[in-house]
Amino acid sequence: MKQNNEPFDSNISRLVKLAGDSERPSEAFTEKLIGEVLGAEKTAELQPEMERKYPMKANWIYRISTAACVLLMAGLIGLFMMPSLSKSKRVSAYKNSLPTYYDQRHVYTEVTPSESIPRSAPVTPYFDEIRYPSNWKEIVANSKANVLTPAHGGTTPPNSEPFDAMFFKNYGVNPFVDTDDDRFSTFATDVDTGSFTLCRSYLDRGVLPPRDAVRVEEFVNYFKYDYPAPRNDVFAVYADAAPWKFAPDRPNTYLMRIGLKAFELSDADRKPAVLTFVIDVSGSMAAENRLELVKQSLRLLVDHLQPDDRIGIAVYGTNGRKVLDHTGVSNKGRILNAINALSTNGSTNAEQGIRIGYEMARQAFRPGWINRVILCSDGVANVGQTGPDEIFKLIKSKVDEGITLSAMGFGMGNYNDVLLEQLGDKGNGHYAYIDTLDEARRIFCGNLTQMLQVVARDVKLQVEFNPGAVRSYRLIGYENRDVPDAKFRDDKQDGGEVGPGHSVTAMYELKLWNNEPARNLATVFVRYKDPDSLAPTEFNGLITAGCIHPVIEETTNDFLLAATVTEFAEILRQSYWARGAMLDDVGRKTTILMSRMPGNNDIVQLDTLVRTSRDLMHLKKDNAEPDSGLHDHPVIMNEDGIIR
Amino acid sequence: MDPAQQPIGSSMASSGGDTELWRTTLSRVIPMIYGMFVRRGIHPSLAEELTQKSVFDAYRGRTEFDPSRGQVDAWIVGIARNNLALEMRKRKNSQAMQPDLMRHLAALDTAVLPDEALECDEMRILIRRAMSDLQDNERQVLHLRYLEDRTVPEIARQLKITDKAVHSLLYRAKISLRDKQIQLQPLLREERRP
Repeated sequence: MKQNNEPFDSNISRLVKLAGDSERPSEAFTEKLIGEVLGAEKTAELQPEMERKYPMKANWIYRISTAACVLLMAGLIGLFMMPSLSKSKRVSAYKNSLPTYYDQRHVYTEVTPSESIPRSAPVTPYFDEIRYPSNWKEIVANSKANVLTPAHGGTTPPNSEPFDAMFFKNYGVNPFVDTDDDRFSTFATDVDTGSFTLCRSYLDRGVLPPRDAVRVEEFVNYFKYDYPAPRNDVFAVYADAAPWKFAPDRPNTYLMRIGLKAFELSDADRKPAVLTFVIDVSGSMAAENRLELVKQSLRLLVDHLQPDDRIGIAVYGTNGRKVLDHTGVSNKGRILNAINALSTNGSTNAEQGIRIGYEMARQAFRPGWINRVILCSDGVANVGQTGPDEIFKLIKSKVDEGITLSAMGFGMGNYNDVLLEQLGDKGNGHYAYIDTLDEARRIFCGNLTQMLQVVARDVKLQVEFNPGAVRSYRLIGYENRDVPDAKFRDDKQDGGEVGPGHSVTAMYELKLWNNEPARNLATVFVRYKDPDSLAPTEFNGLITAGCIHPVIEETTNDFLLAATVTEFAEILRQSYWARGAMLDDVGRKTTILMSRMPGNNDIVQLDTLVRTSRDLMHLKKDNAEPDSGLHDHPVIMNEDGIIR
Repeated sequence: MDPAQQPIGSSMASSGGDTELWRTTLSRVIPMIYGMFVRRGIHPSLAEELTQKSVFDAYRGRTEFDPSRGQVDAWIVGIARNNLALEMRKRKNSQAMQPDLMRHLAALDTAVLPDEALECDEMRILIRRAMSDLQDNERQVLHLRYLEDRTVPEIARQLKITDKAVHSLLYRAKISLRDKQIQLQPLLREERRP
């Protein structure tokens, strides 16, 4: 065992403290805490709002001398710069520019020009591309319109959720669509896995995940399927189907799986990468050793990068700052020292951190390399209260310049799943949630090339069903990846990014016409852009009735796995279409899968999660208060875990 | 005048003038809120974290304190109470799951112990018995390091040994403690079986 094994050291420290029976903290702890609080005052981190807003107001000597200097300078400028009209024009132009700046940032605070005109110092301490007033951080952080709850919950009264400030969005559930009404189903691909790992984290803590946290496609795409990789093309498409009943009252229904597999690339063939990490070191990252997990993950990553790759690090707490200039991985010691020195403090100013990270990435940009910003955070609460649209605009503009973004989520509580997922999506990178070191290992070691390199951009799928064979269909998941049918060939329409070896699986529930003779079921169209030239490519494939397995027992293990995961996710998100589906049934299928695919840890893990969910649903039922009838969607389980 | 009665709120906006007042207030309030957490069954490490969070919350939001509405101690305790309520609510649903101590102890090297495991009586009894089974110098070094929060140089001065020897002793003590716990857990379970 290594001497500095962090979980072990932390556990022993926590255990030994149990041996004490005092209700008083140790004197050393009290002294240290007082020192931290009062010492932090000097670093401006804990200064009260008024003082941070007007840091120099209290110092009257400074004010008088500044005013004298300004008057003197104004006089000198007036003497040398004639005619004086030009000066007043410049000042009024500056004044007029102020409202534009504040409007853009959604902060509507009256600021008099005398407080905002920048002094002769650089306009920002980090870079000079963005020309904000020198005290913009204080103004934004302290404006009255802008009083936010601290990122970690602070003094906010408790609400009824099991974890504080978890932000999810309900994207709804796709309905059955009659092929007579619309025979086209179009969506953008998604290779994210964040939803699965986040829900796993909930279940590991003994809590059922909120229904909005479940995105079926991310559950399905978490698992590996044995699609052969194409050798000469970018993609290969696979399809199969089998009878499958989510609900006993839906006869003649089939589950169809469409798999898209990208060509594979070895780690050695990957392009070199310039990675800029933007790490949240706000106070909330101290909880549950989150920052430690980030640090451990980064150390793993450093060990698996190629010597040519370069890493830079920016962090943000109350303020953002650069920690490490881009450094070659061959200089591993310097990178590891910077990672080891990270520590938590302050509130969350994500926007500033992201801006600094992007500026660093711009300065270190190398054409033809992978230029990626990787955000590691437990949430993107922002003391600046800048709307996400501003961050999205920034990210979009940088994507056009060739800098992409991946979002890595950490921790439970104060977690903004919606924003992190959208950041990964808009940044043409991807979104993952890291709950354990094993997951970090999976992403940063096992799937690193997939994560970093893109082999196809804006990948979209369109399935045209044959109305003569298929009566109606339902796309399971991909609700927030919907693309209007008419925009499938619109190359401005955003799609998903796919890395080498990535597979994308989409599941459809189909209702077929009774007694229909075998014929073609559907045609799959795939459209994508080359990542370098951005030239669009489209191809299609036919799904014939020959793809249908007559009975479920004859399906492949892969199909059974994808179908089981789909059913599990549908039950967890309390889908209307999974009424009557039972977790006991899902558990039986995972048992079959374990016997058919021994040694597959992913399936063992799935089986554990299914059984934990079933137990928790039973517990929930046992502890349920009498239904008041006021719930929008009452969910009642019977002893078999049936959702009614 | 009782320091608790002093109008700390009115001088909050300035950083230099009330540092001593804050020091006095925090010296008084920190043990109070730590004790509140421990009495509610929060394990000591988490109690320290929550105390730290509450104190930082209070100091960061000190301009919001209104002395006309009550004493500063009551205000900080109120913040701590909110943090406690958040913590209790967070774990409300997970309490039904009984922690498997043996499994957690076996994975002590690689996984962080859940709060539930640290807060069950069995773990408390187990750690005390394991501590009492350690050699005197091992027990003493763990006590100084983790219960009294002493630094390694401070421990070295007190025990009159080198820093390196303290590190070595600490390492051996931690390994012994882990092994003792794993040995004792089945015995303890057997004893407590009705």
